[in-house]
Amino acid sequence: MKKAKISFPHMGNYCIPIEVVLSMILDCEYLTPPPITKKTLEIGSKYSPDFVCAPFKYNLGCYIEALENGADTLLQTGGVCRLSYYGEIHEQILRDLGYDFTFINFGDSEITKPTKIYEKMKQYNPNLTIKHLAKALMIGMRMIDIMDKTEDYIRENVGFEEEEGTLDSLYEAMLKEFRTVRSYKSLKKINKRYQKMMKKVKINKPKNPIKVGFIGEYYTALDPFSNHFIEKWLAKRGIVVTRKLNISNTIFFRNVKRLNKKVKSYMKYDIGATGMDTIKEAEWLAKHNYDGIIHVKSFGCTPEMDAMPILERISEDYHIPILYFSFDSQTSEIGIETRLEAFYDMIEMRKEKNK
Amino acid sequence: MKKAYLGVDIGSISTKGVIIDKNNHIIASDYLWTEGNPINAVKRLLKSLEKQFKKDEYEIVAVGTTGSARKLIGVVLDATVVKNEITAHAVGTTTFYPDVRTIFEIGGQDSKIILVDDGIVVDYAMNTLCAAGTGSFLSSQAKRLGMEVEDFGPLALTSKNPTNIAARCTVFAESDLVHKAQMGHKKEDIVAGLCKAVVTNYLNNVSKGKRIASPIVFQGGVSKNVGVIKAFEEATESRIIVDPNSHLMGALGVAILARKNKEEKPFSFSIQDVEFKTKGVDCNGCANHCEIICVYKDNKLIDSWGNRCERGAIKERQNKVKV
Amino acid sequence: MVKYNVGDSMTKIGIPKALLYYRYHTLWETFFTKLGCEIVESEETTKEILSRGTNFAIDEACLSYKIYLGHLESLIGKCDYILIPRIATFCDREIVCTRFQAVYDVVKNTFRDRDFKILDYNVDVCEGFSEQDGFIKMGQELGKSKKESLEAYIYAKGAMDAEHKKQIKLQKEELKKDNIKILLISHPYNTYDNYVGKPVVDFLKSMDCTIIYGDKVDREKARKKAHKLSPTLQWTYNKELVGAIEMYKDQVDGIVIMSSFPCGPDSLVNEMLVRRIKKAMVTLILDVQDGTAGRETRLESFIDIIKLKKEEEHEKSKN
Repeated sequence: MKKAKISFPHMGNYCIPIEVVLSMILDCEYLTPPPITKKTLEIGSKYSPDFVCAPFKYNLGCYIEALENGADTLLQTGGVCRLSYYGEIHEQILRDLGYDFTFINFGDSEITKPTKIYEKMKQYNPNLTIKHLAKALMIGMRMIDIMDKTEDYIRENVGFEEEEGTLDSLYEAMLKEFRTVRSYKSLKKINKRYQKMMKKVKINKPKNPIKVGFIGEYYTALDPFSNHFIEKWLAKRGIVVTRKLNISNTIFFRNVKRLNKKVKSYMKYDIGATGMDTIKEAEWLAKHNYDGIIHVKSFGCTPEMDAMPILERISEDYHIPILYFSFDSQTSEIGIETRLEAFYDMIEMRKEKNK
Repeated sequence: MKKAYLGVDIGSISTKGVIIDKNNHIIASDYLWTEGNPINAVKRLLKSLEKQFKKDEYEIVAVGTTGSARKLIGVVLDATVVKNEITAHAVGTTTFYPDVRTIFEIGGQDSKIILVDDGIVVDYAMNTLCAAGTGSFLSSQAKRLGMEVEDFGPLALTSKNPTNIAARCTVFAESDLVHKAQMGHKKEDIVAGLCKAVVTNYLNNVSKGKRIASPIVFQGGVSKNVGVIKAFEEATESRIIVDPNSHLMGALGVAILARKNKEEKPFSFSIQDVEFKTKGVDCNGCANHCEIICVYKDNKLIDSWGNRCERGAIKERQNKVKV
Repeated sequence: MVKYNVGDSMTKIGIPKALLYYRYHTLWETFFTKLGCEIVESEETTKEILSRGTNFAIDEACLSYKIYLGHLESLIGKCDYILIPRIATFCDREIVCTRFQAVYDVVKNTFRDRDFKILDYNVDVCEGFSEQDGFIKMGQELGKSKKESLEAYIYAKGAMDAEHKKQIKLQKEELKKDNIKILLISHPYNTYDNYVGKPVVDFLKSMDCTIIYGDKVDREKARKKAHKLSPTLQWTYNKELVGAIEMYKDQVDGIVIMSSFPCGPDSLVNEMLVRRIKKAMVTLILDVQDGTAGRETRLESFIDIIKLKKEEEHEKSKN
């Protein structure tokens, strides 16, 4: 029998742990979709409903490019907010376009619960055992955790490397090796080796660098292409970038009750999706004397839109400037750059004055 | 020889230039249409500035550029400072009005609000969706009404009963305007209504949620329109300051930044006679097909940009090596 | 302003005539009246209310939410409390648009500098907050006993359910009519809004159509039908409308779908409907711009086509 060729849309670098887990639990070959480009977004937008949020369009574009490259099985994780319904509509659009494929959709079950994953995956691999799945998930989760921690470190330091590009190329090499990981031991070994090398990279950080927090809607904040590489832009100007929003912090280690308490001075209820995380993070950044906050989301994202009036209050109370970006498929690069430059000038001048 | 500084602000609609001395006094200035060709516009600008400029008394030692074509013109003029227009406007205004708290700016296609506290920009916002409620919007409506946009202001002031016009979207405003004209509204009322619509649109979209404090300085091309000034004063219930050089504030700001910047480079007006060309090259490194802009001076590549990733940058460097 | 039980000493509860008002107004009004409160409803939506609301809302917020903020603001200073429900979940694996979860906190922050009190109740069944508990809590906040509050809730709930059943029954009569029947699929806050939905309804009626309202439907049955058509659809309010299509589509001549721009759930659900429902269908997207001309042209040609088709079929059956 032919091996299934399975693919999952890009979101930052998270394709890699997904590849590892899938390769371990299904008898399949993993196909990484081509890197996201303008064309991905164009194709995705062409077949998407008019005013759906941008991640839907990116996902759809990735699916089509994966199918064109020979994939025959697609995965959609689902999630909170509109994301839970993405899969069914993606599948319908792709079928109507005439593609033939298997669609593994977690839209109707909770992907955060291992028992649900087991139920679902057993449909595609009858030989799958709980033990086997648990092992794969453990490795996947640990890998995500490592990646998130490493990316945190890179974001805060990449602007100050003695030799530009060292950290990025080390990380790229690490990810490449991660793709081959099939055991906990090898993951640990690779990680240890690279962490050592990264710590050796010379960083010349000034005593009091400009610090900016990066918050907002999940996909747009996590995927560099869809936020127009803002983190990189900031880093190139010698800015420390902090972003707590990542899979480990919002899925593995998220405690709703604790979160609810933390944001009490601004809100009583959970406003949906990662709205509470956004508020908690903004207040944390403000309290820790960050120089500014950048909030990104795709056009029409309701939970993040609802977080904005609350962010305004935080900005007022702590005198911290917040720059808002709402991206759709038509966003102009020059407009982004002008706003970013002005933001940079502003926080630099404010810092200068407060010295 | 006294030192002088050139500031150029190249917007999509108009090109502005000033030369200042070390005390920020304007010794030459002009304002002309970009006409879709920034390089040509700058050459025309330089020609005009050269006429006003006393060569035996002053020497230009630094150049600053701002506006949407700041990068391109920065290369052409070998600028020491290339700044975005928000910062340039803020610097210009705070130099002449140190107490300013709020800056309204409405230009050809952009509008912005800048909040200042103690001479420092503390917040700003730009228009998001489209050109509705900007200079080009007013120009196109003027054309529709068969008049010059310059005549809008005085005519608006004569209106006693401004017509209500929706200006959220240019397309829709246009059909609303035609409709109102056909219903028999007076021209001055429609024009006053348009001025009001520009202000409403600005306050609802650009400055939403921002605390507008006095003194307020209004600038950009549209600040020359007395009808809009009046509508702003009515809506904010405050006095609106408009500098006689309000249209030049971006250029002034960037000239001041060039003065404050320590770097000096010789500048010659003869640059008008040099041939500059730009070429868009499609990078084929990936499906992004970034359009890399290459700038040629007398057929020599002097700079390029526009790549989103390193693949494009390598190509850029190779090109540079070749020439 | 509509007032009930006029009297100065009574607690005045302000109710914004927008969003969930159109679904729950019988429940709210009966409950608070029963507890001896006075109801202050905001006026029907006008251009003025919308434009006030637009001032307070994020630019890209949906039309319905802008209208809501306009209504809410119009009540400040006119009552003791303004009612804001917080709705998240009704049962496992079902959600509502996150806006209904957020509206309490968004209002609170948007109008932080204004002086007014909010009366809220939380429905989040998955987290253990039932509607009943929410109403008892409100009653207690108004100084009533638990027993009084519970009784008022049960009474009010009964009144709401009876009203809804009555509406469904009346609609059954409408379905028997002979003229063109159009099923209107739209959230009640759009359908029944004076400024948004009413012009559309009036226009359809002026073209001699009978309107069948998608929200007048046995909700439980509708949700089950919706699950069959779209298994991963989770939005309760959308499920009811989708189910209504399945239940009514064979008895009507065409479907008009009406959504606010840029409604999150509708952005995807409409796509599903267009691809899966085989029936004459037209979609109207409502935005702040008040141009009705384009909308009317669309509707007129839609009805014309239906009429032509009907005549053709009639001719055929004669031959």
